[in-house]
Amino acid sequence: MNSLWPLLITLIYVAIAMMIGLRARGGQASRANMNSLEEWGVAGRSMGPVTLYLLIAAGSVSAYTFMGAPGWAYSKGVAVFYVAIYLAYLALIAWYFGPKVWQFGAEFGHVTQASAIADRYQSPALGALASLVMAVGSIAYAVLQTVGSAYILFVMSGGIIPVWLGVVLVLASIAVYLYASGQRAIGRTNAFQGVLMLVVAWTVGLWAVHSATGGLSFSAVFERIQSEHAAFLTLPGASGDMSFSFWTTSIIVSMFSFMPPVWTQWMSASSARTIRRSATWLPTYYVVILPMVIVGFIGIYSLPDLARADTVALEYAMQHLPVVLVGLLGAGTLAASMSSSEPFIHSVSLSLSKDVLQPLLKLSNATTGRLARLMILPIMALVIAPLAIAEPGSLVMILLVGLGFASQVLPAFIGMFFWPRASRLGVMAGIVAGFLVTVAFTTLWPHPLGIHAGFWGLIINLPIFVGVSLVTPATQADVVERFFRIAAPRGLTRLGKKAAP
Amino acid sequence: MRRLLVLPTSRAGWGLLIAFLTLIAMGTWPMIGWVNRATLVLGLPLIVVWSYLVIFSCVVVMLIGNRIVERDNHE
Repeated sequence: MNSLWPLLITLIYVAIAMMIGLRARGGQASRANMNSLEEWGVAGRSMGPVTLYLLIAAGSVSAYTFMGAPGWAYSKGVAVFYVAIYLAYLALIAWYFGPKVWQFGAEFGHVTQASAIADRYQSPALGALASLVMAVGSIAYAVLQTVGSAYILFVMSGGIIPVWLGVVLVLASIAVYLYASGQRAIGRTNAFQGVLMLVVAWTVGLWAVHSATGGLSFSAVFERIQSEHAAFLTLPGASGDMSFSFWTTSIIVSMFSFMPPVWTQWMSASSARTIRRSATWLPTYYVVILPMVIVGFIGIYSLPDLARADTVALEYAMQHLPVVLVGLLGAGTLAASMSSSEPFIHSVSLSLSKDVLQPLLKLSNATTGRLARLMILPIMALVIAPLAIAEPGSLVMILLVGLGFASQVLPAFIGMFFWPRASRLGVMAGIVAGFLVTVAFTTLWPHPLGIHAGFWGLIINLPIFVGVSLVTPATQADVVERFFRIAAPRGLTRLGKKAAP
Repeated sequence: MRRLLVLPTSRAGWGLLIAFLTLIAMGTWPMIGWVNRATLVLGLPLIVVWSYLVIFSCVVVMLIGNRIVERDNHE
């Protein structure tokens, strides 16, 4: 690319995001103590419904929407829509569990997912274990998003900004506002990034349709695909690897992967009702996926020989769209990757400080708050940046294993929301067994019988969790009672009969 | 305690649980197999239209859920 406009537009986006992030602690928040876990970690539990809507929406829509999703449409076809469906199901999860998690946080002082687990099972060791293993998946995810950001800067600058410099620039920008304003910065920047992504996706998508067909209707694109490449319109897709069983189990496993940043987002809401209101409308945001996927479908016949499927949207834009739109696409993609990586970096820092280092070193809450804030710097400089620059080939594998583990923590949540008898040892046994099966079925024998490895893990995990829970001591009654006063405000059910709360 | 579980305690609660399970069934096998045809509806592949029907049905069910929760006045 010869024009400097795309790079300029992308850099303007970075500058605006930084300004918004730094100003996030203005007003009432400027008087708040950013060294406290409540403020830096969960924004003083202050977020309103619109900010929360955009925070969760932008956080869940990663660079995948602008690169991976068009790439999947380009290589597989409609199989890509499993993502839109599971994202909508995540809204159902947020609607039911979010208000309860918020109440746990408000009443018991939790600021992380792992601290809720440690409290429910009266086991700091289980909390630390959950924190550490969730950190593996979270860091891998943040690294992948950072690699995506650096790649965008590399392309938008026509190669002037090498990947290593792009990594440094992006992480430095995030570090400045994340250190200064914590979760408030994530809320404000994600709100901006969420709106930007929606506008960019639809503008680029409609422009691409117009350039490909001369009109604005998607039907001309799909009529051509139907007549020339019909396999792209059904499962298992053009590459033949999205069977019904893989579609179904991928959705179920993804739906039950309670990632730590999502809990932090729920706990940042101003009230339980706020979460329910935001979750209700959350699925509407996922119309953002449709226009970018259309660009992937256009690529099937207009760019048939691409070496890398996930570059289809960028390649099409650079060949067919005005430079300003290429710049906007760069900004939108960068927004998507930054808005997804910063909650993970924040959450890892918060949880390692609160759930691992605080109990280990017997730190006070004030010291832990300062530590959490500073911890983002070594996490970025010593872990994320080197990994993003080195781009190890096993990164995607680390991510898959990490996400596989996330779904294996399900027993901990069953014991928190549905089954008071769940014991600490039952949860640990279920997680370890499920994790080992998931690792084996991700690395050694990938997805046997076309069923997602995480689903195999759950098939082993859940019976072990129930069996071991029934033969090991339950958590003390007063702890279980205070959790289930929130989880089951109208009481529990015993074999069809209602029991006292 | 071993037989205690959290289950809906009202007809509206059961209705909401059934609606949630129906939504999940709509997006997965076997129902997704019934719309797995290379036909176009409103200019879009049938499975895409179905996906967005599931997505917007989630909004409708949650809106109804909000009315139930707020009517019963508990979180």
